[in-house]
Amino acid sequence: MAARNLSGFLVLVLVIAICEAAFVFHPITDAHRSAALDLFTPLDGSFSSLEEAYEALRSFEILGIDKKPDIRSTTCHSVLETLGSSSSSPKDLYHALRVNGILKCEVKEELFEGIVLSLKAIVSSASSLLEFYYSIGSLALIKDQSSNANVLLSDAAGVFRSIKALSQSDGRWRYGSNNPESSTSAAGLAFKALAGVIALASSEIDQAMLGTLKNDISKLFDSVEKYDDGAFYFDEKVVEAHEHQGPLSTTASVVRGITALADVTSGNIKLPGDKILGLAKFFLGIGVPGDTKDFFNQIDSLASLENNRVSVPLILSLPATVLSLSKKDQLKVKVNTVLGSNSPPLTVKLVRASRSGSKDGSIIESQDLKFDKESDSHFLDLPKTVDVGKFVFVFEVVLHDSELEKVYATGGQTQVPVFITGFIKVENAEIAVLDSDLGSVESLKKLDFAGESIVLLSANHLQKLRLSFQLTTPLGLAFKPHQLVEKLVRLQVFLKLRHETKVDHIFVVGNSGKKFEILLDFLGLVEKFYYLSGSYDIELTVGDTVMENSFLKAIGKIELDLPEAPEKAPRPPLQPVDPYSRYGPKAEISHIFRAPEKRPPKELSLAFLGLTFVPLVGFLIGLLCLGVNFKNFPSSAVPATFAILFHLGIAAVLLLYVLFWLKLDLFTTLKVLGFLGAFLLFVGHRILSHLASSSAKLKSA
Amino acid sequence: MQRLLVFLTAISLIPLLCNSFSPENPTDRRLLVLLDDFSLKSTHSIFFQSLKSRGFDLDFKLADDPKLSLQRYGQYLYDGLILFSPTTESFGGSLNLGAVLDFVDSGHDLILAADASPSDLIRNVATEFGVDFDEDSSAVVIDHTNYAVSETEGDHTLIASDNFIQSDVILGKTKIEAPVLFKGVAHSLNAANSLVLNVLSASPSAYSSNPIFKSSRPPSLTGSAISLVSVVQARNNARILISGSLDLFSNRLFSSVVQKAGSSHKYKKSGNKQYVTELSKWVFHERGHLKAVNIRHHKIGETDEPAVYRIKDDLDFSVEIYEWSGKSWEPYVANDIQVQFYMMSPYVLKTLITDQKGLYYTSFKVPDIYGVFQFKVEYQKLGYTTLSLSKQIPVRPFKHNEYERFITTAFPYYGASFTTMAGFFIFSFIFLYNKSQ
Amino acid sequence: MARSTGKDAQALFHSLRSAYAATPTNLKIIDLYVVFAVSTAFIQVAYMAFVGSFPFNSFLSGVLSCIGTAVLAVCLRIQVNKENKEFKLKLESIYRHKVLSGISADAERDLPAERAFADFVLCNLVLHLVIINFLG
Repeated sequence: MAARNLSGFLVLVLVIAICEAAFVFHPITDAHRSAALDLFTPLDGSFSSLEEAYEALRSFEILGIDKKPDIRSTTCHSVLETLGSSSSSPKDLYHALRVNGILKCEVKEELFEGIVLSLKAIVSSASSLLEFYYSIGSLALIKDQSSNANVLLSDAAGVFRSIKALSQSDGRWRYGSNNPESSTSAAGLAFKALAGVIALASSEIDQAMLGTLKNDISKLFDSVEKYDDGAFYFDEKVVEAHEHQGPLSTTASVVRGITALADVTSGNIKLPGDKILGLAKFFLGIGVPGDTKDFFNQIDSLASLENNRVSVPLILSLPATVLSLSKKDQLKVKVNTVLGSNSPPLTVKLVRASRSGSKDGSIIESQDLKFDKESDSHFLDLPKTVDVGKFVFVFEVVLHDSELEKVYATGGQTQVPVFITGFIKVENAEIAVLDSDLGSVESLKKLDFAGESIVLLSANHLQKLRLSFQLTTPLGLAFKPHQLVEKLVRLQVFLKLRHETKVDHIFVVGNSGKKFEILLDFLGLVEKFYYLSGSYDIELTVGDTVMENSFLKAIGKIELDLPEAPEKAPRPPLQPVDPYSRYGPKAEISHIFRAPEKRPPKELSLAFLGLTFVPLVGFLIGLLCLGVNFKNFPSSAVPATFAILFHLGIAAVLLLYVLFWLKLDLFTTLKVLGFLGAFLLFVGHRILSHLASSSAKLKSA
Repeated sequence: MQRLLVFLTAISLIPLLCNSFSPENPTDRRLLVLLDDFSLKSTHSIFFQSLKSRGFDLDFKLADDPKLSLQRYGQYLYDGLILFSPTTESFGGSLNLGAVLDFVDSGHDLILAADASPSDLIRNVATEFGVDFDEDSSAVVIDHTNYAVSETEGDHTLIASDNFIQSDVILGKTKIEAPVLFKGVAHSLNAANSLVLNVLSASPSAYSSNPIFKSSRPPSLTGSAISLVSVVQARNNARILISGSLDLFSNRLFSSVVQKAGSSHKYKKSGNKQYVTELSKWVFHERGHLKAVNIRHHKIGETDEPAVYRIKDDLDFSVEIYEWSGKSWEPYVANDIQVQFYMMSPYVLKTLITDQKGLYYTSFKVPDIYGVFQFKVEYQKLGYTTLSLSKQIPVRPFKHNEYERFITTAFPYYGASFTTMAGFFIFSFIFLYNKSQ
Repeated sequence: MARSTGKDAQALFHSLRSAYAATPTNLKIIDLYVVFAVSTAFIQVAYMAFVGSFPFNSFLSGVLSCIGTAVLAVCLRIQVNKENKEFKLKLESIYRHKVLSGISADAERDLPAERAFADFVLCNLVLHLVIINFLG
């Protein structure tokens, strides 16, 4: 887990390191202060644990933040509770006492006395490193916080030996006698505990024991790891560590331990200054961590390094590594301690400045920078001979008081990459259409990049297009293009031709001796252009890292007349569809109903309806004309009724039919028809037989 | 012992199931974050904190952790995946390219960030979604006219871009004032892919190449063809965010001051935090996720849904559409939702009217073609999930007794029949009782 | 030539007219009825020629009712006509059979009129049922 963590961390920082082989470190800035306020936010007025409360309060204290959340009352209450409780472990007491050290809650002396007694008991019977660490640490804190308590250890040498017994041969420490694994952060804890023991000793500790301790420290430093940019750090090698410790917390633990030891042994611990500076650079190189524990570790370690008795690192930083010739920027250098405070009187020397990647000699040699008290920075005006480009500036810090060289670590020579930017002028730009064979110019136009004008050209596939221009640096010297290209970092000169269908082609503008020039021979480019004739927009892009006026300009339009595409010609690549037009509501469709058939006008139908009654009327009139009579109607009652019934029956059937047409369905009709039919048959038979017999009588008579 | 273990694992999965993505609660809850190393937890802590404050459970793991797995016993353990491991060559455990694609195919979301020199694995994952990173692995995006002015970074690889996609649903209603800082690799979108969208594109003067070494060939990706951040909304409504820069999400760029080259306005804070937060809200379905319920149709005047319509009926159609707001379903308001009455091709297409509370309705006349029709609502809008609903309904022709009862044209025929009947009656009467001399 | 044909036509016409006047009234009634039915049919066909055959079923129904009833009336006329020897001859054999079975021959001779009428009524009623059903 830790090994993977290490490799990952390495990769991350290495990536940054490779990009700029010399990384510029900056001391703590206001960004840290605002980040601290954002990170350490108490939930509901207090922190979740005293450890976190301490981390927040210590960070605010170190960074000098006054406007911090007010958690005094709740935290003090919690502190007193922990200190008063008899079931608090040394760890809890340690954290509570640390918080008390900052908040200065009112703790009664009796409380301290009680704690001291129990802690002394634990110290004498402790077996694991953490027990020693917390109990000795608590005693050391009580020493500062209480005036009366007797915290001195009687058997300091014994405690020293027991802690030392847990050390390993490679400088690391074990967490306990049962635990065979050794850990670097445990070494840091051990150093701090031993420092506490030395401070609390009632009698002097044997110098021999201190000597072995120094050996352990130097052995530990043999295992320190290094980044290319000069940062040193410690990391755990063991895969299954006691707790998950990254390089940051491990290094922080070691730094705290060593600085504590250096404090109590009056600077007898000797370590090379560049290692201390390297450790400081590691912490500064992290930037602003987003995790509270990481933030605290970083700030606390830097605070320890700020005033340590081994050597105080001085950080050389440049607020700006990009200098502009057009704005006449000055080269400014700041030298501060890690927390940003002032350095002792010193001079910054610019040893040399040379173009990076170039084998030419240095541009500037051995210049001293002037000191400006108001802004606390050293500055230098760039000489007039400096042109644009990417340079490496080598600085050296020289302390005025050579005695202080033992106290401060300046780090020898520091390499800083600097970009010097300026305006690059474009001159003598012209664009021309040439006839291929003869090389004669068909049309030549001068280009003015300052204005907005666009030239219009036309060419066919037998002709060529030529664009040429010159670039000059701010120094104004007429450099040959290849010299200029070397001066600039990464010159980008592209010509882009874009067709109206958005198919575009890019060409690199090369250089030929005196100027930058490109010659497009359309005959050879016909296939590349997918045989698309039409209007092409011409755009020129000139840019560089150090060119302040890099531009992308539409310089004109050209009408290209290319031959027809043959059968097998490649199609131009698909252009993406505009996403805004891809979606959208569709056109509405409403169904067109089939027109009903044309009906004749109502009046016609009604007219013919009337007309159909005419034959009936005619029939009636005809009957009257014929002079019909009812002489055959039976006179006697019974046959008469039958006759009437017969005709009524017929009428009823016809009426039934009308009803059937209007309302009824066939089944009902047939049912009723059945009845009526039976009735009609009966009646009809009677009347007809009567009529028949009466007419027969008449005949025979 | 094994059985007990299995039982306990099964029991422990139950709360996971209850707390997971479901169609009723589409916001993802559990996210797996794969990192190259744990320092990303600290350098990108503001982004992760903003996710946690919105209720996500983040599970941080190293990308080559051998215990990695996305699913157990067929159930997915996570609702979303964040890949912040641009240089990992292969994932640990049971995770591989196929597993990641299956994860997305099953409807889950993905955030992928590449950085300088992305590994082949990350490139392949991106290519599956229609996003092609620059083939040159050492290339980064450089822009000499739209870089972020900085006193310490002079090689123009830190770009300040404000070419955002114009979409309120993807980037939120509040306009992002400050430009977004970007430092990383370029990618291009496959032109044939209609599901991928460019949410942050480079300016026309940007190009992708190695910042240190010069090359004589023109760069393969230039100008607006370079996409810096893209999103894909798959057909199953899974959303994928692909970014060419891991620093886009970092604390350092979140709190950076931004000044675009060529302009003198200095923004105190970059737009990164707002941009990334709004995008993550969209990716994890807190915005732009639609659901349509209650498709109802009935004849005008009735309330029940009939089983069959008759041609030339007047009908009412209504549907309710809601948008998930991250916590609850809010009514969705739009004026371009359309319904089609469809049988092989739409016969009627109408835009639905809304009552601003999520109810969309319209009414129209059933065409006079009979057959089996479908009410189809196919709604696709930039940034929203696709709505694809259909409800089948048959349409019958007129019954024999639904025609006009008495046709005016036929009146003469009616008249003729009845006069014939009347004539017959009179005739029968006359004929019987007429005495001829 | 025309004059002779014209004269012939006129002579023909007169003779027809006088012959017709001699027919009994009953038959004239039937004839009138047939003319009425056919003219109604004619009117309907003329209407159809104007407006097209849109409700074809109604058209058929209307026309068929007229033509059907006309046909039935013609049948009735044939059966009722005393001078229709053909018919009588056909019936003779039936009557002879009936005579042999002992029923009065004379009485039989006049039955057909009423029976024909009964047939006529029955057929007409059935016809009209069908017509009304098809009228729509």
